[in-house]
Amino acid sequence: MTIAISARRQVSFTVNGRPCSVEVPARRTLAETLREDLGLTGTKVGCNRAECGSCTVVLDGRAVFSCSVLAVEAAGRRVETVEGLAGATGLHPLQEAFIEHDAVQCGICIPGMLMSLKALLDASPSPSEDDIRQAVGGNLCRCGTYPNTVKAALAAASALRARAGAGR
Amino acid sequence: MSTPPPGRLLVHGDAPPPLGRDLAVIGRSINRRDALEKVTGQAVYSSDMTLPGMLHAKILRCPHAHARIRRIDTSRAAALPGVHAVLSLENTRGWHTYWYMIAQPAFPEEIAYAGQEVALVAAETVDIALHALGLIEVEYEVLPAAVTPREAMKPDAPRVPVLDVERPREGNVQQPIYLRARGDVDRGLAEADVVSESHFTLPTQYHVDIQTRCCIADWDGLRLTVYEASQGVWNVKRELAKSLGLEEDRVRVVVQNMGGGFGSKAGAQRVVHYAARLAMLAGRPVRLELTRPEEFLSHPRRYAGEVTMRLGARRDGTLTAIDAEIVLDIGSGSLYAGKYTMTLHQISELYRCPSVRVRIVAVYTNTSPTGPQRGVLDPIATFSTEAAIDDLAARLGMDPLALRMKNYAEDFQGLDDTTPALPYTSKHLDACLATVADAIGWADRDRLAADARGSVRRGVGIAAYCIERGGYAPFSAKADVVARPDGSVEVQAGVVEIGAGQITILPMIAAEELGLPAERIRIHHGDTDGTHYAPSSHASRITSEVGPAVLQAAAMVRGRLFELVAPQHEVSPLDLVAADERIHVRGVPARGLSFTAACALMSEPEIRATGSRAPNPDDVIFRLFGAHGAEVLVDVETGELRVVRIVCSHDIGRPINPKLVESQQYGGAVMGLGYGLYEEAELDGKTGVLLTPDVHQYRVPTALETPDIEARNVESEDAFYPYSAKPVGEAPLVGVMPAVRNALRHALGFGIDALPLTPARILEAIAARRSADAG
Repeated sequence: MTIAISARRQVSFTVNGRPCSVEVPARRTLAETLREDLGLTGTKVGCNRAECGSCTVVLDGRAVFSCSVLAVEAAGRRVETVEGLAGATGLHPLQEAFIEHDAVQCGICIPGMLMSLKALLDASPSPSEDDIRQAVGGNLCRCGTYPNTVKAALAAASALRARAGAGR
Repeated sequence: MSTPPPGRLLVHGDAPPPLGRDLAVIGRSINRRDALEKVTGQAVYSSDMTLPGMLHAKILRCPHAHARIRRIDTSRAAALPGVHAVLSLENTRGWHTYWYMIAQPAFPEEIAYAGQEVALVAAETVDIALHALGLIEVEYEVLPAAVTPREAMKPDAPRVPVLDVERPREGNVQQPIYLRARGDVDRGLAEADVVSESHFTLPTQYHVDIQTRCCIADWDGLRLTVYEASQGVWNVKRELAKSLGLEEDRVRVVVQNMGGGFGSKAGAQRVVHYAARLAMLAGRPVRLELTRPEEFLSHPRRYAGEVTMRLGARRDGTLTAIDAEIVLDIGSGSLYAGKYTMTLHQISELYRCPSVRVRIVAVYTNTSPTGPQRGVLDPIATFSTEAAIDDLAARLGMDPLALRMKNYAEDFQGLDDTTPALPYTSKHLDACLATVADAIGWADRDRLAADARGSVRRGVGIAAYCIERGGYAPFSAKADVVARPDGSVEVQAGVVEIGAGQITILPMIAAEELGLPAERIRIHHGDTDGTHYAPSSHASRITSEVGPAVLQAAAMVRGRLFELVAPQHEVSPLDLVAADERIHVRGVPARGLSFTAACALMSEPEIRATGSRAPNPDDVIFRLFGAHGAEVLVDVETGELRVVRIVCSHDIGRPINPKLVESQQYGGAVMGLGYGLYEEAELDGKTGVLLTPDVHQYRVPTALETPDIEARNVESEDAFYPYSAKPVGEAPLVGVMPAVRNALRHALGFGIDALPLTPARILEAIAARRSADAG
């Protein structure tokens, strides 16, 4: 009796701005690669079938369910995860706003929520409340923090705009 | 209204002396302390951990709802390279797992529900474990299944093999049938001018914790360490020790973060027992994680209920009788089936009524086990009472709020004729109802309803709740507070942070007592090593049970520091006060020293005090009260129901951290909306197989459906709680469903009596109503 081992591939991409290269089975998901090969366990896996959103990362600027993207599909692309959200100068305004507006309870959905919103705010600096709800519409939070998620995202957008204005 | 005895902090020994100053920390909306590690992805959950040499376990589940295992052969699986341990009936006969200390056979010969565990394999990788499961040969004798309570109650129904070690029953009906009454209900109904009868169907609900169950068990030959996603480390420790025949000291349970429990992770889940046993067999750490579909198949879900309510009233609305019959689907096992009294408080205490009868028939079925979920049985009782009151109001042509106030119970209403009439610790439900009515626009409700736009109707509804919380036996919570010569302070409490803010609130209490900012207090938590017993974080109980212990311990540490400081200033320790990170003579802030300098006076390595929660006194009744209001829009052509607004008013005493309280209220409302509007599981009626084991078909609410939710709580003193902080947690869910249903009733002019209120169900009810009107 033998166990079929799928073909392995060498894959290179950047994670949070750093180049990395891993050898992975062709069928390995990006979520598995991030968590198990790269030790980036901030990305969570709640369903492993693109239903709960807890594995959301940003791939070339777009929020994706990393449980439903193969690692080989990330080749040559930019991956952003929750671990890269805070910069050298401190927390990202989304993180600050999530803390301040108590948009965190058990916390398991939070990395996914944050990455969905990161993609939104990068593309659209002045989102409406409805834009925000749409952006996290695929991120389930069973603690029901949604009212605070919306407040936090609006506050973060405002802080980012203020920061951009000050930088000009 | 009878006055309660003077409130007192519920601790063993002397009550702590007063602070001698205003509160400085309690009542402030400080940020939760675990938020930073959670927003940076640094918070480690059990599923994020890897131990050296760790094996991976998978579960073989029975596909049949009712079957007998004729033969099981795991030899080929055990022989597969990479497999290190196999568990099944073959090598575990007589082994019991424990859930809330109730024994359940680990691997029964007769299977009770589709998805029940039959065997496990621990292997080098998940792939090998899955492959090995395919090599296990099981020969089943498939038996007829009783999938619904109605079927299971029939005399010739198949007998459900109950997972909990056998409780008395006749057929599949648990015995004795529960019956509590006060007064003469038959007479009360006969004397009524109007009798309103309602039938409600309340479905099961799944917890859908976003972190699936995951534990890692590590056995070093002497001691078992379990990294878990549980709500209570001490509960798990005791249950595992009992199951495995180990002294309690040889089991350590650690939960630093956990991704949602809502009642389903309150004790040692079956997966923990399996992982532990596999680790002991294999001599290597074992990780066992459930998939999302497995979560649906096997975890103890909420009870489903069918309820008949008959309310009798005089023409003027005075209640004469409340008669409730509840048929509960308790699945193939239910530790809480004996906790029927939870349904009583709502039904028998909320209104002044001379006669009340509650009859509960609990029925075993060939479906997954049931267990506590946020509010446990309260949602069934609350929905039934509060929806029935609106049905009665409609029959009487009365305003539903006026009917509630007409029958408002100032005093405790005994559960039966022998219950003494004791006072509540506090009750301000009338203020909650008035607050909700004001916020939801009750006075304008008929004008709002008349404002129909096309096919869209608008409605406003209200519901009250009365639930039993505030501490539970055995009342043995303890906590330590430790101060060290360097000025550092640590709370040591065996509680788990489940997302409700436990590890933010307890340090706030210690900080207040010591005159420090909360961030100066560290907390050691979620670990049975280095803590005393504390209850699991369920039943809304941590602040009211562990809070007093922390308060007492911190006050004792303060007293010891005062004894060190007092001689230096030639005053009595009673003249000192701890405030603003200093200890000084009361009224003379300059005569004192910093807290750190005071700690440096200690000659011992630490000052440690243990606080200990005393039992609730038996001369006063502990209940929580509050009300929910809802405004809805319903499209009578499409059946779409949109909840526009939810208002919650909780009789809260005083919040320790208002921001965290509101978060609980948002969360409870969202889960209640899921139960009321969206969440619907489908079971194949013939095979008992769950057809919706995923969050694509079993829809929980998202940000898209979440309405405006507003918390307007009613504050008061209640000295039976630390700083008057009454529990929150579960209460924010229970009134949501009836408030929405009553708002929909207001919009449509008739009630819909089955949840969830999906478009299909609403359209069906409208069509049935139209044809009845036409007929």
